Amino acid sequence: MTLRKVFRHETILALLVVIALIALDRQSDNFLTLDNILNQGRLMTEVGLIAIIMTFVIVTGGIDLSVGSILGLTAILIGVFWENVGLPLPVAIGAGLVAGTFAGFVNGIIIARFRVPALIATLGTLALYRGIAEGVSQARSVRGYPEWFYVLGQGEVLGVPTQLWLLGLVAITAAIVLGYTTWGRTTYAVGSNEVAARFSGLPVDWTKIAIYSASGFAAACAGAIFVSRVSTTRSDMGTGIELDAITAVVLGGASIFGGRGTIIGTLLGLILIQALKNGLSLAGVKSDGTVVLIGAVLILTILLSNLFHRDTNR
Amino acid sequence: MLRKSLSLLALLSMSAGAVQAQSAWTGGDDLPTNPLACDGTPAAAAAVDYDGGTPTDAPDRNGAEITVVDVPKLIGIGYFDATSKGIAEAAAELGNMNATTDGPVEANIDDQITLIDNYVTGGVDGILFAANDPVAIAPVLKKALAAGINVVGYDANSEPDARQWFVNQAEFNGIAKSMIDSLVAEAGEDASFAIVTSTFTTPNQARWISEMEAYTAACYPDLTWLETVEAQEDNILSFNQANTLINKYGDELKGILGMTSVATPAAADAVTQAGQCGSVAVVGLATPNAMKPYVESDCVKSVVLWNPVDLGYAAAHVLRATADGTLNPGDTTVSAGRLGELSVINGSEILLGAPYVFTKENIADFDF
Amino acid sequence: MSDENASRFRARRSAPARFLSTYGQEIIIAAVILLLFVLVSSINPRFLGANNLNTIISGNAYIAVAAIGMSMIIITGNIDVSVGALIGVLATISGTLAVAGYPVWFAWTAPILIGAAINGIVGALVAYGRLPSIVVTLGMLSILRGGLVTVTGGAWINDLPPDFHFAQQRLIGIPAPIWVMVILTVLAFLWMRHTAFGRSLYAIGGNAEAARASGIPVERRIVQVFMIHGAFAGLATLLFATQLRIIQSTVPPNLELTIITASVIGGVSILGGTGTVIGSTLAAILFSTIGAAMIFLNISPYWLRAVIGVLILVTVLVDMQRRTREIRKAKR
Repeated sequence: MTLRKVFRHETILALLVVIALIALDRQSDNFLTLDNILNQGRLMTEVGLIAIIMTFVIVTGGIDLSVGSILGLTAILIGVFWENVGLPLPVAIGAGLVAGTFAGFVNGIIIARFRVPALIATLGTLALYRGIAEGVSQARSVRGYPEWFYVLGQGEVLGVPTQLWLLGLVAITAAIVLGYTTWGRTTYAVGSNEVAARFSGLPVDWTKIAIYSASGFAAACAGAIFVSRVSTTRSDMGTGIELDAITAVVLGGASIFGGRGTIIGTLLGLILIQALKNGLSLAGVKSDGTVVLIGAVLILTILLSNLFHRDTNR
Repeated sequence: MLRKSLSLLALLSMSAGAVQAQSAWTGGDDLPTNPLACDGTPAAAAAVDYDGGTPTDAPDRNGAEITVVDVPKLIGIGYFDATSKGIAEAAAELGNMNATTDGPVEANIDDQITLIDNYVTGGVDGILFAANDPVAIAPVLKKALAAGINVVGYDANSEPDARQWFVNQAEFNGIAKSMIDSLVAEAGEDASFAIVTSTFTTPNQARWISEMEAYTAACYPDLTWLETVEAQEDNILSFNQANTLINKYGDELKGILGMTSVATPAAADAVTQAGQCGSVAVVGLATPNAMKPYVESDCVKSVVLWNPVDLGYAAAHVLRATADGTLNPGDTTVSAGRLGELSVINGSEILLGAPYVFTKENIADFDF
Repeated sequence: MSDENASRFRARRSAPARFLSTYGQEIIIAAVILLLFVLVSSINPRFLGANNLNTIISGNAYIAVAAIGMSMIIITGNIDVSVGALIGVLATISGTLAVAGYPVWFAWTAPILIGAAINGIVGALVAYGRLPSIVVTLGMLSILRGGLVTVTGGAWINDLPPDFHFAQQRLIGIPAPIWVMVILTVLAFLWMRHTAFGRSLYAIGGNAEAARASGIPVERRIVQVFMIHGAFAGLATLLFATQLRIIQSTVPPNLELTIITASVIGGVSILGGTGTVIGSTLAAILFSTIGAAMIFLNISPYWLRAVIGVLILVTVLVDMQRRTREIRKAKR
């Protein structure tokens, strides 16, 4: 994996993002305004947090389809802990985050310890965690949170949406970890050749467990932010978010087979998708048209990228 | 060993929930109910202060051409297809309104919120909406109001201060009364029945079920509710669930109430294919087109609804009146084109009218 | 495992043991279904009524048929998350053709060909474009779902000609969906086990490079198997679209997950190389049995999804245990 190869996909993507931004800016005056950009950042945070950690997951050659369900479960648990159990809200939120991380930890155990393929394991936990959310909540919503809670999802700090600061922090930390630490190198090694990594004495199982737990934690944070943003909890929150996150990561150049991928790529992928969704809508394209376009963009981008990387396939 | 655990676990987890749902009807919500009088005398309308929101610094749109976006719960079902038609009809009639319908592809709050947010940024004059969740949609609607946009809801309400007006197709207790009255007319006062709904988290359905429970307790105490099943927005699943109900209760089941325009035709089909027409009454909310084959074959006697085309039409007119400044907080009626004068109830709601019951005599007159 | 060891291993195990190890998953599922039947009918005998049996077995027939194609895809080591959207699209096409006046048999068979064509494109992108199947089908899912709404504008189809309803017909008292499901399952099973084509799919899933080295045209096979999967989606549409008198223009939520789950619980492994379509059909029947059982037993429906989740996990864990045990036994 030479620097030159990495550069190539991310550069193509960056170029695409720039083209898209220019084209969409032409279509509407309201697109490239500071207000709109900050707002899009706010809307993008939940998917963003999940996608950044999903990069780690996919680089190890795995996948996590249960993030949406963990988001929904955390949201429900925050409500239940606060209202039904009576915990003070900060404690309830903390407990929810712990629960979400634990859910991710369980994923990690099933995948690393029991060697169940990630796709199937997280397919099962997708159903299980969503089911627990539905069962525990009995389809009731919890609402009426104190005002200070809404600052997280709806407020601003120094003019920038609160959650965007969090996203930025996580992005920078993740980029440093993945790109410049032994942790990051281990992640790539596991994804490139797991057997060799194991023989080299790398802690493959623990790395995976840690990564899936982190994925659960990211989904849980996204859940807390989402509840704060919409001021209520529902058991169907987060359905489908896993596909959005995976799309962003794959668009960003990560190989689904593992071994390749960067945080900057994922961020570019996120920006491209959000820009398309927002810009097309402002330009008058309806949501079904946008959905079709994003699907086409995904396939075409990966196809294009593959044409430049003929040697790095299965 | 693990194989035995498989079956054991499955059975254990299934029994975990067996203790629930013995008290209230499953699928109802826990908000206060307000059943109508059994003989239909309208409840005394208590004068309520205006409780809607107000746009900040809305420009004077009186008589001006306005762009309006309609954001239903989702697109792709006949019901919102019909409301969309109504809105388009009103826009054409008014001549100075540009209306587009754009909704999420699934009934998802996040998608709906993002859509509305985009339109707020894009700069529309008016927003019409049918909310997937009344509380979750409030922040983005308030944002729209703060941007000076006129906001009017229909079909599914939001919190009152997040919109200016809400066009209510029929009061929850009115729908509940119509449904139960139709059921009793067909199946008798001591019938046992089941309910097929979409999901337990859909606010409107939950309200109707609660109101039906309250009305039944007050007026038809011999009616027995058996159970409620949920079938998403999937008509094959609704069909299978309805069939299972028929199979489970056999002769004991005298009626099925369908709570959505997906569930009711599916239940009717199940009853038809099981050869139970005439033994099991099917009463529900549905669009007439979907129910025509069953009504014509006498399997279904009455379909309760309101006219969604009229609903969209009224909503568009209300928005126009709000933008023009002819409808203001405190008014008691509003003029809505061919529908005449509509009353304001509950502070900031506009009532379309009583629920409409489609029967064999009149169903052919409608095309939606 | 060398050849002498392999044959020594095989010879050491009796025929019943071999049968059990090959078809273990299918036997478990059948056993659970029977257990449920016994349990529920002892509480409410109406569970065994003819109508109820019909509801259970033919209710998910369309899922079983779609799962046949999906099993083949998974056996080759790929996946398809767009099949639900595809069925939605094909159903609308089928209904539109019928309403437009085309002969009913055409409305029934056109979706099979169209499904094969659409998935052929997907297969080509996977095989020749070297794109991972999850990525391509993820993109295709968006395209089909959005496209369906764009084209139909949300309108349902509800004035279908009366002879359109294939799924409502019966032959010697048994409904058409059951016939279709059983015949296709048996045919597919025999074909997978006893033809070179079928066996090559297992080989590709086990080790694509080795398959290629032994002369199997891997790329062509992948395109073909995706086309076959598309055709099965079309056959599933035949049952799905003709059951009721209206056709929705939206994609039933979670349909692809249900189909994939049926294949996985049926024993098809994402690691490729094993599993049969009989398992996936039994799994589809298991789902409808559980659904009906939960209603009959008055179990809170809020927990249904959790039960399915537990089922998947336990099934896969058992499968993994079995694999490790087999490898350990063979090494001895």
